[in-house]
Amino acid sequence: MPDLLELTGVSASYGRIQALSEVSLRVPEGRVVALLGSNGAGKTTTLNTISRLVPVTSGSIRFDGKPIESWASHQVVEGGVVQVPEGREVFQDMSVCENLEMGAYRRKDAAAIRADFERVLNYFPKLRERLQQRAGTLSGGEQQMLLLGRALMARPRLLLLDEPSLGLSPVLVQQIFGIIDRLNKDGLTILLVEQNAAVALTCSSYAYILENGEMALQGASDQLRRDDSVRRTYLGH
Amino acid sequence: MTLDVAFLFLQQGIASGLIVGSVYALLALAIVVIFKTSEVPNFSQGEMVMAAGYIALYLLVFQSLPLWIVMPATILAAFAGAALFRRLILNQVARANGSPVNLVIATLGLSYVLRGFVRQTGFGDTPRSFPPVVEPESILIGQASVTTLDLVILATAIVVMAAFFWMFKYTKTGRAMRAVGMNPKAARLVGVDLTRIHMIVWGLSGGISAVAALLISPKVLMTADMGSIVTLGFAAAIVGGFTSLPGAVVGGFLIGIIENLVGLFITSRAIVLAPFLAIMLVLVIRPQGLFGGRVEIKKV
Repeated sequence: MPDLLELTGVSASYGRIQALSEVSLRVPEGRVVALLGSNGAGKTTTLNTISRLVPVTSGSIRFDGKPIESWASHQVVEGGVVQVPEGREVFQDMSVCENLEMGAYRRKDAAAIRADFERVLNYFPKLRERLQQRAGTLSGGEQQMLLLGRALMARPRLLLLDEPSLGLSPVLVQQIFGIIDRLNKDGLTILLVEQNAAVALTCSSYAYILENGEMALQGASDQLRRDDSVRRTYLGH
Repeated sequence: MTLDVAFLFLQQGIASGLIVGSVYALLALAIVVIFKTSEVPNFSQGEMVMAAGYIALYLLVFQSLPLWIVMPATILAAFAGAALFRRLILNQVARANGSPVNLVIATLGLSYVLRGFVRQTGFGDTPRSFPPVVEPESILIGQASVTTLDLVILATAIVVMAAFFWMFKYTKTGRAMRAVGMNPKAARLVGVDLTRIHMIVWGLSGGISAVAALLISPKVLMTADMGSIVTLGFAAAIVGGFTSLPGAVVGGFLIGIIENLVGLFITSRAIVLAPFLAIMLVLVIRPQGLFGGRVEIKKV
């Protein structure tokens, strides 16, 4: 499998604080790759450097063979790299329908957008019932689904998922990961950031573990699941 | 005061208030649309109005161009000037140091530059007046006396506001502006080009300022300090909640009407105080403004 995304020696900082140092990772096309680590390890920063919200101080980011580290955020989205941010980053005062339409902001193929709209509502039937409702009034789980749906409306080739399980009940977590699995089976490549290592190692094929902004460990997910130090530190048993 | 006179004053106050209020409403819209998308109160808004007024004056009086060229040319020039200021100056300031305070200071800087520039050219030395768009003729509506110019002002302001609201609600760019106002990070993640949207927002704000300048200039004496009229736009914006576009419009009309009623019923010397009393009243009774929505508590 060729690599759809490749980070080589990426460093980033907030002012004087070094957030990432020399991070390298690869996401092969068609796979789910997990990026794990504790709070503040630099997982979200890694996603934000790829989405071009955080500038890179050194290193290179290649998507589909092209260097993208000097692109603007909207060019990355247009190129097919779309992030589902952590938390409730919906457009609060817009309707669910408007939120989904905003997802297709950079697209001009009206017919295909309508088809994708239907496809997204089939993935998330709950959203269909709430199309005219203000997004800010949705429950946490529904907002998470709206975020996923909004990202899918951009027709991504690579989905960057930031903590999709955060703050959700176990039933909802299962539901969300069921959908992630389905999306991947339909051909979508996914880079998944998670604190819930148990879930992430189950649904990914390869995983990286960040510690203090540096890559500490990497390996096939089923191997990491059996690794003693990983079990102690991240799986809690 | 008899009841008859009071009723006459009431009609006159409301009629005059709506007319001047429509200009305040435009100014408040111009302020709020920038604040909503970048949380920067634009302290050069008044000077943008003043500069647009002088551009129109220059083209009309000194170049003797016809009105149908002067008006669109002035609006375009204000749109381009404001958009370029955002792109060239504010973007640079934001990149050098992201703190919003610096952006506010940069807008103050622009206000001094524009005022200084108009003084340099010499146009601002003597108060001038802008020829009215239509010959003012007196008309009675009920018992209130207004002029044809007043009606043109009111109608133009309402058409501009309607076009603006339509754009905000129904066009892709308008929706992107709302998205940036609600959540700039999420807007970037769906592919909104923030630089472009900020330029358009500033351009629109400049264009609306130019319309306000064209409408108000025939009614006031033009000086390099005429930008202070925007104080009333700020008052209208605060009364309306500062982040609400409909609030800005309602606030504008309210300030206009209150000013006129105070002038008629109390004393014309109290007119300058009226907007500030209105602000204080609103801030005490409803701190978030009339249309400000819930009070949000932010973690610092």
